[in-house]
Amino acid sequence: MAEITKDKLLWIYERMRLIREFEDRAAELFAAGQIPGFVHLYAGEEAIAVGVCAWLTDRDFITSTHRGHGHCIAKGVDVKAMMAELYGKKTGACKGKGGSMHIADVDKGMLGANGIVGAGGPLACGAGLTAKIKGTDQVTACFFGDGAAEQGTMHESMNLASIWKLPVIFVCENNGYAQTTPSRYHCAAEDIADRATAYNMPGFSVDGTDVFAVYEAAGEAIARARRGEGPTLIECKAFRYYGHFQGDNLSYYTEEEKAEQKARDPINKFIQRVLDRNLLTKAELAEIDARAKKAIDEAVKFAEQSPYPVLDEILTDVYVSY
Amino acid sequence: MSCVGIIANPASGKDIRRLVAHASVFDNNEKVNILQRVLLALDAIGVEQVSIMPDYYSIGERALDGLRLSSLRAEILTMPMTSTDKDSTTAARLLCEMDAASIIVLGGDGTNRVVAKGCGDVPIVPISTGTNNVFPVMVESTVAGLAAGLIALDAVDVEAVTYRAKCLEVCIDGKLADIALIDVVTSSDLWIGTRALWDPSHILEVVLARAEPGSIGLSSVGSCLQALGVRDGHGMYLAFGPGGIQVLAPIGPGLVRRVSIREHRLVPVGGEVTLSSDPYTIALDGERYIEVYGTRTITVRLTRNGPRVVDIARCMEEATRCGVFQRLGNLEGD
Amino acid sequence: MATRTITYREAINEAIRLEMRRDPTVILMGEDVAGGASTHLEEKGEEAWGGDLGVTRGLVQEFGRSRVRDTPISESAFIGAAVGAASTGLRPIAELMFVDFFGVCMDQIFNQGGKMRYMFGGKAKVPVVIRTLYGAGFRAAAQHSAVLYSVFTHMPGLKVVTPSTPYNAKGLLTAAIRDDDPVIYFEHLVLLDTSGPVPEESYVVPLGKAEIARPGKDVTVVAIGRMRLFAMQAAEELAKEGIDVEVVDPQTLSPLDESTILESVKKTHRLVVVDEDNPRCSVANDIISLAAQQALAYLDAAPQAVTAPHTPVPFSPPLEDGYIPGPAKIATAVKAVVA
Repeated sequence: MAEITKDKLLWIYERMRLIREFEDRAAELFAAGQIPGFVHLYAGEEAIAVGVCAWLTDRDFITSTHRGHGHCIAKGVDVKAMMAELYGKKTGACKGKGGSMHIADVDKGMLGANGIVGAGGPLACGAGLTAKIKGTDQVTACFFGDGAAEQGTMHESMNLASIWKLPVIFVCENNGYAQTTPSRYHCAAEDIADRATAYNMPGFSVDGTDVFAVYEAAGEAIARARRGEGPTLIECKAFRYYGHFQGDNLSYYTEEEKAEQKARDPINKFIQRVLDRNLLTKAELAEIDARAKKAIDEAVKFAEQSPYPVLDEILTDVYVSY
Repeated sequence: MSCVGIIANPASGKDIRRLVAHASVFDNNEKVNILQRVLLALDAIGVEQVSIMPDYYSIGERALDGLRLSSLRAEILTMPMTSTDKDSTTAARLLCEMDAASIIVLGGDGTNRVVAKGCGDVPIVPISTGTNNVFPVMVESTVAGLAAGLIALDAVDVEAVTYRAKCLEVCIDGKLADIALIDVVTSSDLWIGTRALWDPSHILEVVLARAEPGSIGLSSVGSCLQALGVRDGHGMYLAFGPGGIQVLAPIGPGLVRRVSIREHRLVPVGGEVTLSSDPYTIALDGERYIEVYGTRTITVRLTRNGPRVVDIARCMEEATRCGVFQRLGNLEGD
Repeated sequence: MATRTITYREAINEAIRLEMRRDPTVILMGEDVAGGASTHLEEKGEEAWGGDLGVTRGLVQEFGRSRVRDTPISESAFIGAAVGAASTGLRPIAELMFVDFFGVCMDQIFNQGGKMRYMFGGKAKVPVVIRTLYGAGFRAAAQHSAVLYSVFTHMPGLKVVTPSTPYNAKGLLTAAIRDDDPVIYFEHLVLLDTSGPVPEESYVVPLGKAEIARPGKDVTVVAIGRMRLFAMQAAEELAKEGIDVEVVDPQTLSPLDESTILESVKKTHRLVVVDEDNPRCSVANDIISLAAQQALAYLDAAPQAVTAPHTPVPFSPPLEDGYIPGPAKIATAVKAVVA
């Protein structure tokens, strides 16, 4: 994959940085009691959402998980609307009715973060079916975790996508744990990619902390889907910095694991490699860092200053008409 | 005490070639099955001890779970686990220190390459788990287990049934960077990325230890010009690009491609090639492995410093010729 | 165009056919909705069954296998795919063969389809129809006979439709397909072979509108689905005894046409609700509660609910017959409230 434009590199860095900044800030705000409910943070997995969405346009679809902020940002959802949603404000992406676990932006092809583990698979098949029946070249990326891999819905969905040759790529974000339960415990075949054979689709593992590996793999899988050749399963092995949710005591990680996480940081790896290759300059990266910080500062300010929905709004948006 | 080591790589057989080249998926449960057949063979032939590398999938533990062995003692090696290819080198080194008589390797060219970095003079029995390999052989693992056992029991002449593999030593700016057993390839791919090489237009230069007509990958490209087997005293240098000859070769599973070779020449064992291209990545035995930054001097030396490898067919022939199996049959008979 | 007599089954089929002709985004999917996918039948453009009970017969010949899709027995996947397709631009009709199977796919119906619009702050619409068979009387035993519409009626975000005649079966389904919200459309097993007048052309019976199936002045009998037929039979018998029964068929349980029911109660001052579902947390008790809260002053007697008992549907014919609320039980209840 020698061909990657400078614009694409800048975009990749900007999105990864924006996700990290958003998540780090969400962690702080949650700890400070500013954000109600709970947040499942994506920090550490940035390379996956960004490496995949780098190939998608607003016309393509993604389905997401409870850990969905990264997918939203990679798919181009406005961070102001996202942050306001975390606060439960009227200006939020879902008018404050969804919260962290349900952020969506259908116009951007983002079919919702999802509070039900493994629920995105069937929805992704549906989006794929729409593209297939309408005869468009839209592709749907279905993000799911190693925990979701154990849900019947994912098995059913991969089978359905395969028999119908749907333009769906299944992206397993294997961060090693379902809440606190390691995949070596919950998964009879720990390499999720191995399962692809049973669904008669190509499946393979990549390093989910290497954005170039994810980018290359997703590019091939998405091209295959656009050609009408059916689904692919990509397993991206990664980790989560904040554990299951912000506030997780992380007692199940060993010190070695934590050290290893730092060494595998997807953003640091990216920086080092683009600098060493002279593809981007430190100044360019610093400018993006500053922009990301400013964008999140503004998002927090926007969220804080936005009004809550009025109580009457509790009754709207249940139905189109009733 | 007769001791056999086992290194099974849980990550082999699952890279992007499944997608871009319709390569076979080699799932880990299948590796467990293979290992179980190896263990049963070792047990049956009378090996006393087997030591298995730990891995994230617990191939060893899973293989032993519920397996009925009569006298074979099995242990999982105690070693720090990184879940990277370093584990295979560490395990090989440990097994070498433990004086294991042979090491069975489940994996592809890449796995054997990293085992070779640690196994010293211990003969290895490479079982292929995949379709992209030149170095390991596609063999029924029961037979491979018997061959490893024959070596451990000293039932055959090790010199007669093994060969010393060739090795490609890659130096960057005069420093040994790594080794390969089959091929060293420089590429214009910017990054290691998904590791596999599948687009010949990205390949700049190739140095082969072997050019096997019956194989797949870049080794097969060389073999279109001249076949060079394990015992031949030469390797080959190839520069890709127009202006020379074109060959049609199976550069990967399902990928039979027309390849343009600008220049090629034989490289004798002991000889060295200085590469002229300015690559971004260097692939070792089929996988992009090293990212190169800036202008470097890359040299590749062909040696015979590779691992000692058991020729399984020859080993079984030799044992049969010497009546080993008849003797073992009567020993156990009633 | 003319009106002729066709069956409830044919009326459903006709509604789907006309809507699929009208709108290319309408698709049909479910287990064996055509049947025989990938067999020699598909090559010949034919079907095996056209639905387990023949409801969707002949559709694949007209619309092809792309729009009339046999699915694997993966209710979560294909019901969820219907929801996903609805939220991305199609109008899928998914068939959940029996409502008893909702347990294997409920998440996709109520957590995804039913909540998507609300969770997304109104930025999604999910125009999906889930057709499902229900009801006792088919000797199909406990796992293929339940009613369960109360479960779906309970859930915000879903609409629930219970056609009772060939006429409203066609009109309600047409309305459901054109509706922009998820609709669960309940087809009663025993009603499939009933006949009635149905216009040939396309028409809509609006969702959320009850029908006065029989005007009367002495007592309001609200009867859902198949119970409408029993209520009508009971009413004819009771008329001979001088009791004038008004039969109200809600047609849609969510939204519920509260005003038509309340108007009727205010006129007759008496209420019996006939519901084939189990009694606890039922639609019957919901309607009685409605009357109690909003029309208590008009009631001259305590309302009565005629429902199935709090048991699964039994298999043995005499037990199953006793399980189903029939005309006799309805007549008894009516007499009790008019006494």
